[in-house]
Amino acid sequence: MFTDSTLLFVALSGIFAFSFYAVLVAGQLSLGQAGFAALAAYTSAVLAPDPAEAGDAVTLAVALGTGVVVGAVAAVLLGLPTMRLRGVFLAIATLGFAEAVRILLVNAEWTGGAQGMSVPKIVTPGVAWVLLAVVAYLFWRQGPTRYGRALAAIREDELAARATGIDVGAHRLAAFVTAGAVSGAYGALLAFTMRFIDPGLFDFASAIDGLVMAVVGGSTVWFGPVLGGAFLTLVPELQRAVGLEAGWIRPFLAGLLLLAVILFRPGGLASFFPAGRGTRPLSRVQASGARGDTAADDGPGAPGGSGADTNPAGANLAGTVQASVQPHRRRAQVGAGDVVARLAGVSKDYGGVHALRGVDLELRAGEIVGLIGPNGAGKTTCVNILSGLVPPSGGAVEVLGIDPVRTPVHRVAAAGVARTFQHAKLFGRLSVLDNVLAGAHLVTRGTFLRRLLWLPSARWDERAAVVHATACLERVGIADKAGLAAGELSYGDQRRVEIARALAADPALLILDEPAAGMNRVEAAALGDLITSLASDGLTILLIEHDVGLVMRTCDRITVLDFGAVIASGDPAHVRDHPDVVTAYLGTEAD
Amino acid sequence: MQQLLNGLFVGSIYALFAIGFTLVFGILDRLNLAHPSVFAASAFIGIELVEVAGLPWWAALPAVAVVGGVLGLVVERVAFRPLKGRADAHFAGLISSIALGGMIIALLQWRYGPDTRRFPAGTFPDGQLELLGARFTILQAAILVISVVLMVALAWLVARSRLGRAMRAVAENPTAARVLGVDVDRVTATTFAISAALGAVAGALFAMNVNSAQLGMGSAIELKGLAVIIVGGMGSLPGALVGGLLLGVAEVLAVQYIGSSWRDLVAFALLFGLLILRPQGIFGSRRLREV
Repeated sequence: MFTDSTLLFVALSGIFAFSFYAVLVAGQLSLGQAGFAALAAYTSAVLAPDPAEAGDAVTLAVALGTGVVVGAVAAVLLGLPTMRLRGVFLAIATLGFAEAVRILLVNAEWTGGAQGMSVPKIVTPGVAWVLLAVVAYLFWRQGPTRYGRALAAIREDELAARATGIDVGAHRLAAFVTAGAVSGAYGALLAFTMRFIDPGLFDFASAIDGLVMAVVGGSTVWFGPVLGGAFLTLVPELQRAVGLEAGWIRPFLAGLLLLAVILFRPGGLASFFPAGRGTRPLSRVQASGARGDTAADDGPGAPGGSGADTNPAGANLAGTVQASVQPHRRRAQVGAGDVVARLAGVSKDYGGVHALRGVDLELRAGEIVGLIGPNGAGKTTCVNILSGLVPPSGGAVEVLGIDPVRTPVHRVAAAGVARTFQHAKLFGRLSVLDNVLAGAHLVTRGTFLRRLLWLPSARWDERAAVVHATACLERVGIADKAGLAAGELSYGDQRRVEIARALAADPALLILDEPAAGMNRVEAAALGDLITSLASDGLTILLIEHDVGLVMRTCDRITVLDFGAVIASGDPAHVRDHPDVVTAYLGTEAD
Repeated sequence: MQQLLNGLFVGSIYALFAIGFTLVFGILDRLNLAHPSVFAASAFIGIELVEVAGLPWWAALPAVAVVGGVLGLVVERVAFRPLKGRADAHFAGLISSIALGGMIIALLQWRYGPDTRRFPAGTFPDGQLELLGARFTILQAAILVISVVLMVALAWLVARSRLGRAMRAVAENPTAARVLGVDVDRVTATTFAISAALGAVAGALFAMNVNSAQLGMGSAIELKGLAVIIVGGMGSLPGALVGGLLLGVAEVLAVQYIGSSWRDLVAFALLFGLLILRPQGIFGSRRLREV
């Protein structure tokens, strides 16, 4: 039933769909792939030698190499100015690029204009399928790595990803360049498949087709694009096979099928398969539990110590195994009593609103400092300035020896600042465990390249990271929920996962923005104990909280903000009895 | 002057089409890619109304608007409402509206066949007007006037009426709007209906302007509509108006001074440059994400 050319086009569509998948996994919507493919197709058609003289294999290799390089370079050039665009804006800017390329090709001399140019056909279904397998392999191995998780984290919540130390700009560009390279390969293959290429092959409709294939197949599972490409290529073939006449019926049924898939299968076609149901993290934890021979019954609840007996390999590996208990990198801890962070005369204006006015605040190593005040007092603004998200309008800031005003957010995080957010910002569709693993970005080693080569050290590193993350989950007391999607947890549990994620980065300064919101009294008391125990490990903690009782019990010092200014600062007893604090919280008597 | 005016006629249709696009995006944060199909459908339906039902051209417009409104309700009900609350609603909405748009085009092909259709001879008055040395037909003048009046009416509706207030509330925060007693589903459906009605009128006017309707006319204008709403600022109604007129004029001038094959490049060069320099568009305001 399937002819050679059908098989060939299924593979080609799959490769093109992967070029969309490459950016969709990082939450970017790009439609520029058609432009990359067009540039790659024409360049490789011109540069590759004549297959009659050089042989098919050489021609194909040169064409593919040219295509990949042209696609990647074009993506870098387009990506540098456009990577700060988001969502639909990026989609339309890249679409504009693709259209501009198409119009240029139509008008250029060397391309044969709208008539196109003829290219020898040398791509066989076998070649196309091998290449599809290579591309699919790449993305399969990419998924559960530090790089893959960082992309997923950016997709789910860019701001939180940044605050966990992920260099969002570099990762977004990397994903974009991957898309460029893959679409470049597609373009080169297409050129040597069609016998004849013209700019119409790379128009808006083709970009839309690529996007549709990637989303219909499933944009979060590595084999989704293969399914999507097959679906979109085979539907017309099947219709022809069952004898449907050309005309309106075919596009109508194709649209109907597409609609049905997108409405009733939220994860795309990939969700028909077990691995596509979004439970990948759970199965991985189970798998890793089962794989680590002696640790099998510890399961996901295994505390940090279990890593030592997880890889009971030969003695020559003992060093690695031992090291894997601890995170890969440990930051130099600050000496007790040293200044960890300092705000001096910091102010912040939003338009005419003075969120902060001349705030002084100093955090010393190992201290728990409370920051309290009525709603709108400027507490969160303080935190955002400390973590580098918001520049102050005036004053000086120093955190762990760096100036967060002049430092990108992920570098502030790398210096040792971890934080939670007032409204929990978890990576909702990722599992609890993956959230914490993403939080460990700064203290783990990249594993993608080594996973491509099946180096065992990659597996050990991944295993060590899981052990580390599980230990962090243990510490906040929700290791039993490691396999659930973070977005499905109760609010109180989400806050705890967020703390575990922050802890996973092995920070020197932990900023907790209203961690007890949504917790009941028992949970809040447990949280207080956790905070105290973290501080006794040498961690410096800035606690912002409305639960004044919790703050009084846990903090060494308390600073009170009201209308953006510090109205009191000192030990809990001093602050509690301060008349201005009483006034700010209870109001003055009307007189 | 003549060229400028020609640009404004075409640009006003672009603007009317784009304003429907941007209305849905601005209020519901969804890109409805079935909009171009409604545009094409209304062109064919407009021709049928004139040809078969014998309506005069101006009377076909309100009828087409009603048909467009109904199509808008269908699009909302079928392609967008089932996705409510899904984490991937953004991408899924793009795809579902593309799928539904494809089905609409398929149905058009079933009813009208694949060929270009035209209005019957004598549909339009053949009088010519003259202004500042530029000549144009009554139809062209009517297109400009109708488009601008509709857009001003829409701006008034959104800014002043009770419905407009509800729309703006939904745009700001759907949950809060619901708590305050706004029927969000209804406002959403109404927004789609209004958007599609405007797109439908734009389609019929476009068909009148060039006296032809083709199945592919929607996809041809789709890119321009996207360019217009970006240039004007996503979700900005005055932006879509200015952006549409600007694009129309720029195209006409490009044909005049550079050559017709480069016409489309001008739009995208404009678009690209603007996105880099001012991503929020001419009239758009940038929304900051809250921590």
